[in-house]
Amino acid sequence: MRLFEYQGKELFKKYGIHVPRSILAKSIDDAVAAFGELPNPVVLKAQVLAGGRGKAGGVVTVSNVSQARKEAERIMALRIGGERPSALLLEESSRHEEEMYLSVTLDRGRRSFVTIASRAGGIDVESLSGRVMEPIPIEGLNDSLAADVAGKLSLSGRTKDEFLKTLLNLERLAREEECELAEINPLAIKESGEMVALDSKIILDDNALFRHPEFSLLEPEDPLEGEAAKQGFAFVRLEGDVAVVGNGAGLVLSTLDLVADTGGKPACFLDLGGGSQRDRVEAALRLVRMLPNAKRVLVNIFGGITRTTDVAEGLRAVLAEGGMQPIYARLSGAGEHEAKMILQGTPVKLYRSAPEAVEAVVRGD
Amino acid sequence: MEVFGVDMTESTSVIVRGITGRYGSLHTKLMLQYGTRIAAGVTPGKGGQSVEGVPVYDTIKEAVSKTGSTTSILFVPAPSLYQAVEEDIMAGVRFLVAITEHVPIRDTLKVLSLATKHGAHVVGPNTPGVILPSRKVKLGIMPGTSFRPGSLALFSRSGTLMYEVANQLSVSGYGQAIALGIGGDPVNCTTMIECFDWASERDDVDGVVMVGEIGGDVEEMLAKHITQSGFGKKVFAYIAGRAAPKEKKMGHAGAIIYGNFGTAESKISALKAAGVHVAMTPAEIPRLVEKSIKKS
Repeated sequence: MRLFEYQGKELFKKYGIHVPRSILAKSIDDAVAAFGELPNPVVLKAQVLAGGRGKAGGVVTVSNVSQARKEAERIMALRIGGERPSALLLEESSRHEEEMYLSVTLDRGRRSFVTIASRAGGIDVESLSGRVMEPIPIEGLNDSLAADVAGKLSLSGRTKDEFLKTLLNLERLAREEECELAEINPLAIKESGEMVALDSKIILDDNALFRHPEFSLLEPEDPLEGEAAKQGFAFVRLEGDVAVVGNGAGLVLSTLDLVADTGGKPACFLDLGGGSQRDRVEAALRLVRMLPNAKRVLVNIFGGITRTTDVAEGLRAVLAEGGMQPIYARLSGAGEHEAKMILQGTPVKLYRSAPEAVEAVVRGD
Repeated sequence: MEVFGVDMTESTSVIVRGITGRYGSLHTKLMLQYGTRIAAGVTPGKGGQSVEGVPVYDTIKEAVSKTGSTTSILFVPAPSLYQAVEEDIMAGVRFLVAITEHVPIRDTLKVLSLATKHGAHVVGPNTPGVILPSRKVKLGIMPGTSFRPGSLALFSRSGTLMYEVANQLSVSGYGQAIALGIGGDPVNCTTMIECFDWASERDDVDGVVMVGEIGGDVEEMLAKHITQSGFGKKVFAYIAGRAAPKEKKMGHAGAIIYGNFGTAESKISALKAAGVHVAMTPAEIPRLVEKSIKKS
């Protein structure tokens, strides 16, 4: 789960990492009112989860009320990576000398958390120059390991002290809140040597949320994705017209590829999960029925533990309710002949292989 | 057949953690049907019961001392996986298959560190398990009917895709010496590289089929390893997720592209550079295998 910048900064504050003074505004009027409460000039920042916010015009500095209103209106109407800003963060403009990059993240290949730091901040982590990367022991970072990182960055004096504090606090945050990524980019160094986090990027470990119930109060990014998550489905909304449903993440993923290779555009990714019963199939299809861009539905089942007869019965039940998009199905494996019988007389189109079903659903026969 | 320190034979026996749950009892039945010997089950508070004729104990310690089995398969809920693994290892279990999905990353790292310290081997978590068709050993949730004895090794990050590929290979006349799912999580306690190292030592393995997917750099690291170690067997691969969007978790916790990290393109080009035969669809795998390996 990704947090918005302002949510990440709340966590920074909780862990003693300095952030600029800011006010969150959910409406344009709130933004205008907040402008007056902060020292001039003020930075307006769109609150979106998508990347590329700066390039899309989602961050701007304003110095008077009418400009604040005009820019707030403009930003709230933006679409950044297909996403409308959910709020505006108004922040005091922070004068600083230098910018750094600092993060704590999982290194999957190394099978360890690592800290990545660089004296050149403000750009993508991939293109960081002179970056330092150090593995973090399972029990957490200690003073001497943190000092090694500062040493490799050739930091000294007040800057070094501030950096050590920030690094240790960020690592404690990432560990205690169970983040996959906790990133400060840029981390500004003020003339006084004080360090301030100008932006935040936090990705929580979804599988650890049961230990952090406070985050479950956060609104899901997409209501339909939220509903699917509640029902225990892996669901991702996409922009095409062919809903892709199957059993098993890898199988659905490979079906998306087949659809795209055949010239189609997937409307969603929906994994029923293993050993799905009839009621799960029904619930999944009802979700797909609510997806406005889904014009046709592809159901790809490799029945091993999942019984294709359960799937067939689920399909028949939902079709009987009405309003369901046309279904193209490949049901292979345990019980496939009985499944075929169950679907006789229904409008479900059955195919022997996944490629055949994909071609038909993309053409829309 | 020795697999990660365990001699897997028809008489290898296993202890099922969480045997009385819906999933645990269903798969106990299916594993028994396949031919796997299940010595005992463990569910705290359910000691004295039996599931499919298998005796249930309250603790793993009791189960190990009564049966002598040092292999376990875990169906416990994610929040208690770490504790169950710790109990298993302390009780002397040395080979663990963690089926459990949704395990927090930091718990998996703790599992890995504990296993390494005690010389135990963990497959998973979030794995379909491991199957050795010629030995009638199935430690997992895969449908036994998709697999046939043979001389290919099949390693996969995904469950159903592994079944689908195994099925197509079996139908085409290519059986498997082993099929093992490393798991769909960002951190796998058994790595793809360990699997390949195992396969390279086996005279009864002619070729390896690897099913990968987007996210992380397992495949890129493997490609480097294939080149550097001079891996001597034919390798075939399929990578799922060429059409997946970025920054979205595609079902598996580990199947996510961040920026340009973890894309299918990067994996496919790394594997091709290492001389791996890369299929563009699962159905293409048996056709590629047919071109370079004779049916046994």
